[in-house]
Amino acid sequence: MKTRILTELARLVTRHAGRLWALALAAGLALTMASAGPADAHGEKSQAAFLRMRTLGWYDLKWSKTQVNVNEEYEITGKLHIMNAWPASIRVPERCFVNVGQPGAMANRIGVWVGGQFTPRSMELKVGKTYEFRMLLRARRPGHWHTHVQLSVETGGPIPGPGQYIDIKGNFADFTDPVKLLNGSTINLETYGITSIYLWHAFWMIVAAAWIWYWFTRRGLLGRFMWVASGKEEEVITPQERLVGAVTLGATLLVVIIGYSIAASNYPNTIPLQAGDFRNIPAIDEPASPVQIKFLGGTYKVPGRELTANLKITNSGKEPLRVGEFITAGLRFLNPDVYTSKVDYPDYLLAERGLSLSDPSPIQPGETRDVTITIQDARWDTERLSGLAYDVDSSFAGMLFFFSPSGERYMVELSGAVIPSFLPV
Amino acid sequence: MLRNKTGKTGAAPVTESILASPGIEGGAGANVPRAAPNIAFAGGGSSPFTSRAEAAGAIQTADLLALVFLFLIMIGGYHVHAMLTMGDWDFWVDWKDRRMWPTVVPILLVTFPAAAQYFFWVHYRLPFGATFLCAALLVGEWIDRYVNFWGWTYYPVNLIWPTSLIPMALFMDIVLLLSRSWIITMIVGSMGFSLLMYPNNWVILAQFHLPSEQYGQLMTVADLIGYHYVRTSMPEYIRIIERGTMRTFGKDVVGVAAFFGGFVSIIVYFVWWHVGKMFSTVKYMKSI
Repeated sequence: MKTRILTELARLVTRHAGRLWALALAAGLALTMASAGPADAHGEKSQAAFLRMRTLGWYDLKWSKTQVNVNEEYEITGKLHIMNAWPASIRVPERCFVNVGQPGAMANRIGVWVGGQFTPRSMELKVGKTYEFRMLLRARRPGHWHTHVQLSVETGGPIPGPGQYIDIKGNFADFTDPVKLLNGSTINLETYGITSIYLWHAFWMIVAAAWIWYWFTRRGLLGRFMWVASGKEEEVITPQERLVGAVTLGATLLVVIIGYSIAASNYPNTIPLQAGDFRNIPAIDEPASPVQIKFLGGTYKVPGRELTANLKITNSGKEPLRVGEFITAGLRFLNPDVYTSKVDYPDYLLAERGLSLSDPSPIQPGETRDVTITIQDARWDTERLSGLAYDVDSSFAGMLFFFSPSGERYMVELSGAVIPSFLPV
Repeated sequence: MLRNKTGKTGAAPVTESILASPGIEGGAGANVPRAAPNIAFAGGGSSPFTSRAEAAGAIQTADLLALVFLFLIMIGGYHVHAMLTMGDWDFWVDWKDRRMWPTVVPILLVTFPAAAQYFFWVHYRLPFGATFLCAALLVGEWIDRYVNFWGWTYYPVNLIWPTSLIPMALFMDIVLLLSRSWIITMIVGSMGFSLLMYPNNWVILAQFHLPSEQYGQLMTVADLIGYHYVRTSMPEYIRIIERGTMRTFGKDVVGVAAFFGGFVSIIVYFVWWHVGKMFSTVKYMKSI
């Protein structure tokens, strides 16, 4: 009895194998889709760790607001250091563009200023220099949006910096983007010119449909084909139909000429698209740093998510200095002995107790000291920087910040090779 | 049912008017004879049709289905070709410049219309190959722009409108109709296809080339739209537009670009006319 049931079942399955496969595939697809969540990120974690650490140093980032209404403006400000450790595998940013990494046009970019220069087009930035930037955005689409700063480098691609969630409330239909033109009029970019686009396209689509239908309804396809096949192709089109064609041609040219003339008359002062790049962007004029660092060697412990760097630090300044912060790839590792109050920064990028030193006491003026710094946090892993151990160039870079009792801050770029330490097997 | 019938169509067409098909025969073509299958009707034993009217109706339906299917196929085929080749110049208002856009777009878009002109003209004497293709492309583009670019990603239509192509296509079709020569169409039609693009589109583009001062910089409205509506993966340097060269004729760039586009379009037309010839056949189907 059991054998018979199994035989019948097997026969049934064999007979409906195709359908069962299709059903299984559909179910699998549905399950995959059911588990899909909204995409928040912009691929910033997918880039090789050493590239993210050695290209750009973003710091002093500030989002002026994280809760805004439609049409409300907000800013992202900060500093951008082009690392001296810039890797050879990416072309230096001699042609680049400071961009906003956001999910489409959820906010309009009113302007970006780099070194005080309004930069609506590409620019040249120099390796080793630090630039102040400001982005002015205008909230457009309601939602919960992850917004990055980003530098796109020609032939290299986009290098996303730190991101922050922006909540936009209100009604999308209320959005306007007023812009003043040189002729004195003010237009709304959101809707400008759309009606004329629709009308012009609709007009010509109707003409095209009429032309096609006119010829199609004259003996159709099969009829014409058989006429041509029988060698009478010269008889298919009548002189009247040619006349219709000639009139249509004349009318078409006339409409284009009249349309062009009206446009030229309505808009006598037009200019071509503007395309020039910006050169000589002013960098921050930083005073000479009183700190010199010699990198003696480093290791990265994969299981402990811990980077250690052995440094020889010389303080040639007039005040004692303490190491307070290390920034790499947008992640901030703080020394809790220096940062004693809460820091306003996206939590997923902030390791408030991530930095420690072998000797935490201040480095006195004129002193040279060997120091081992330890940068340890799970964010090495969550931000996929632990992949450094498997990169084609096992070297890191970042910015080390020193603080003086009088409130001065000095940034020193730090870079070098690291030797990974793997899980014991 | 039809499978059991023999002699569905005769060997050679006869010329006669089918009065019972006014939908086809109406208007200017009413007096012109149309082809009808040389078939015997019910009682004769060789036709699936009971009357000439029924035969004409079936032909009419088949024609309409063929036209609709061709249109849908061309939306897909031509649209993919267009998007993969001249895509960005057509996608964005801040790519529609006076040098690259009038050069690239006609050269790359004269392709399928040339092949379609072969198919429709040589086999049907229908002078709408280019218009048919350009209308199909525009239907596809408008669906894409409205549903994807606006509906999904909320880029306003004034940033993403497609290039207007119909007058260019009509010109090419009517040159073929009047000249009855693909050589003349290749030379005059392709050149016109290119030369007409800028003036035809200037009707809607001019307003986007008005100047505006933004924080000390001069920008066109098109530049501004492209800048304000953030395209994360499209940094400004990606734009392949006129950036100035010692070889341009001062500010008179459009004419030079359009004529150059026209000359190359002539060559492209020649090639694609023969592509149309190569594929307007059923010989590849024989082995199936």
